[in-house]
Amino acid sequence: MTVLGYLTNGLVFGSIIVLGSIGLSLVYSIADFANFAHGDTMTIGAYTALVTFGVIGGLGGAVLGLPYGFFFALVVGIAAAAVVAVATEKLVYEPLDADSIGLLITSIGIAFIYRAVIQIRFGSDFTRFGIRSLRPIESLVPYGVRITLHDIAIVASAVVLVVGLHILLQYTDLGRKMRAMADNPDLARVSGIRTKRVKLWTWVIGAGLAGAGGVFLGLFNQLAPRMGFNLLLVIFAAVILGGIGSVYGAMAGGFLIGMINQLTPFFSNVVEALPIWPGVLNTVLEGLISIEYANAIAFVIMVVVLLVRPNGIAGEGAT
Amino acid sequence: MSLFDGPRGALSELTRPEGWVLGVSVAFLLFLLVAMLTGALGPTYFLFLVGLAGMYALLSFGLNAQWGFTGLINFSVAAFFGIGAYGTALMTASGSPIAGGLNPLVGLVVALVVALALALLIGIPTLRLRADYLAIASLGLAEVVRLIVLNERWLTNGSAGLRGIPGFFHGWPVLSTFPEAMPGLRLEVIPGSPVTLKTAFWQASLNVLLVLAFAGVTYFVLRRAHRSPWGRVLRTIRSDEDLARALGKDTYSFKMQSFVLGSLIMALAGVFYAHLNLYVGPGDLDPITTFYAWVAVILGGSGSNRGALFGGVVIVTIREGTRFLNDVALPIDPAPLRLLLIGVVIVAVMRYRPQGILPPQRELIWPSAVDGGGTPETPDSGVRERKGGGDNE
Repeated sequence: MTVLGYLTNGLVFGSIIVLGSIGLSLVYSIADFANFAHGDTMTIGAYTALVTFGVIGGLGGAVLGLPYGFFFALVVGIAAAAVVAVATEKLVYEPLDADSIGLLITSIGIAFIYRAVIQIRFGSDFTRFGIRSLRPIESLVPYGVRITLHDIAIVASAVVLVVGLHILLQYTDLGRKMRAMADNPDLARVSGIRTKRVKLWTWVIGAGLAGAGGVFLGLFNQLAPRMGFNLLLVIFAAVILGGIGSVYGAMAGGFLIGMINQLTPFFSNVVEALPIWPGVLNTVLEGLISIEYANAIAFVIMVVVLLVRPNGIAGEGAT
Repeated sequence: MSLFDGPRGALSELTRPEGWVLGVSVAFLLFLLVAMLTGALGPTYFLFLVGLAGMYALLSFGLNAQWGFTGLINFSVAAFFGIGAYGTALMTASGSPIAGGLNPLVGLVVALVVALALALLIGIPTLRLRADYLAIASLGLAEVVRLIVLNERWLTNGSAGLRGIPGFFHGWPVLSTFPEAMPGLRLEVIPGSPVTLKTAFWQASLNVLLVLAFAGVTYFVLRRAHRSPWGRVLRTIRSDEDLARALGKDTYSFKMQSFVLGSLIMALAGVFYAHLNLYVGPGDLDPITTFYAWVAVILGGSGSNRGALFGGVVIVTIREGTRFLNDVALPIDPAPLRLLLIGVVIVAVMRYRPQGILPPQRELIWPSAVDGGGTPETPDSGVRERKGGGDNE
């Protein structure tokens, strides 16, 4: 594969990470805690879509290699993730008398409950959507780019959702309220904003995007009850890289982490080709920069960013 | 609360939750005893469970020294546990790719040294971070450790894990041959269902003695440390780090000490686990171990060592109880059921009793302060007069 090929893979994977990281970042800034159940919210979206798609089938035609039914299932998945998140907020987080650390610990419990329910219902094995996987687009293969129509659909849908969110945040009343709340919840409250309602909308948007991310992750790889939890730390890495609380930072961070993740094989080729001296260092680097450590590299980047630039690359207050 | 008050006096001093925990524990113990005597529960398996409970208690003690004392959100418990287990396994196991066949005491020392190094490696960068960042960063670094153990086959045997770990007392003068030397016992408490005690039983009882020794020493060290001036600084950091800093305490250094102490205890739990289970694999570094320890600590009461002990027993009940349920009653895969129970316990505790079931109360007070006659004497003159200070500030 060429650099271009890895870059396009990074673009596709990055889109999925972006969908996850926006929601995590929104909840982090407005509900004010690190939501460890966010990854499993993605899993909920993915499995709901799986069930819906299994029930309704293809519904006739297809766009970008995906049947209409899949898009309907995507919407249902988004809705289910949002409903579950709102119900959790209402039933668990809201009555809880806890600081952000208490909420963080609670969210781990919530994550386990989500995952356990899915695993009890579907087993712990991998599954796939009942969609025939496509061959890479012929005309792009000479350039070393091996992407399918499905990948294009993922990127296109992510772009639509992200642009929609941008319009919502910048040009609507709700968006302004959300930005005000992220900035200073007390001030927002005394200014007459119904902060509880805004918080609920934050959950809807954040979890909905996560649900979409989960469906696309299932399309990109496979579905498994652990898919969301496994991706959670990568998403955290993206959010932290972009700066916690900054939605646009989360987008940038998601892209970068997705790129780095998919470019790891390229980096390892580079390291192999470079004459690094001394030989010991070369061996160590070759050992550590390999596909097995793609996630580990993201985590190390995350820790380094936390230490060096805790506000992330986008800086503070860019919600 | 002296011993001379007799059991009645000691009982009446218990708070209600303490009474409940005591009652439930006694009932549970009786239930297990009956199960054992009727032959439903093998005595060797029972001792294995006791060993496991001791191990989780040890793990919870370690986490308690970090979260309960100092308020450090450490989500890398599994990494230290795994490093402890792998440290000793790599030294002692016959299947070890690097050393192998060494005395388990060497394994213990190596495991603790490696855990110390890892604690410094993780602690130095992350302990400066805000609490929630520390949680995320430590979980990430634990995952890095797991990936390294999984992928560096030349060092750790990769996903195959390490087999052929000897018992902890292997190579000791008397204890190494103790289980074989003991005669098989045949007890018949209830006619018709005899209980036989064989070599495996004696082996298991040795393990229980070992974990009791580990946990007992740790318990007393931690209790002493928690009450000491050092422990008071940690408690101050937990409730208000800025205050501790304003009082001239080097909070980073104190946090590091507490982190290292806790990590070493977790590694100790790992060492015990390796010699109990006689096999370690990368699955032992799964993040779920971290959250088992967390459930034990928050359920028992953050900062409470008794609570951690209680939490450890609850964890084993959940772990083995789900397996038992699967065998006997409900055909549900035990893994997700366990996960569900853990999740429900976390949420329920945080919702209804965030301080835990046995929050630290008298644990933090020197006994002499309580026995010494209750309220302190009123001084004859106020502090201000004695110091000769002015009447205005």
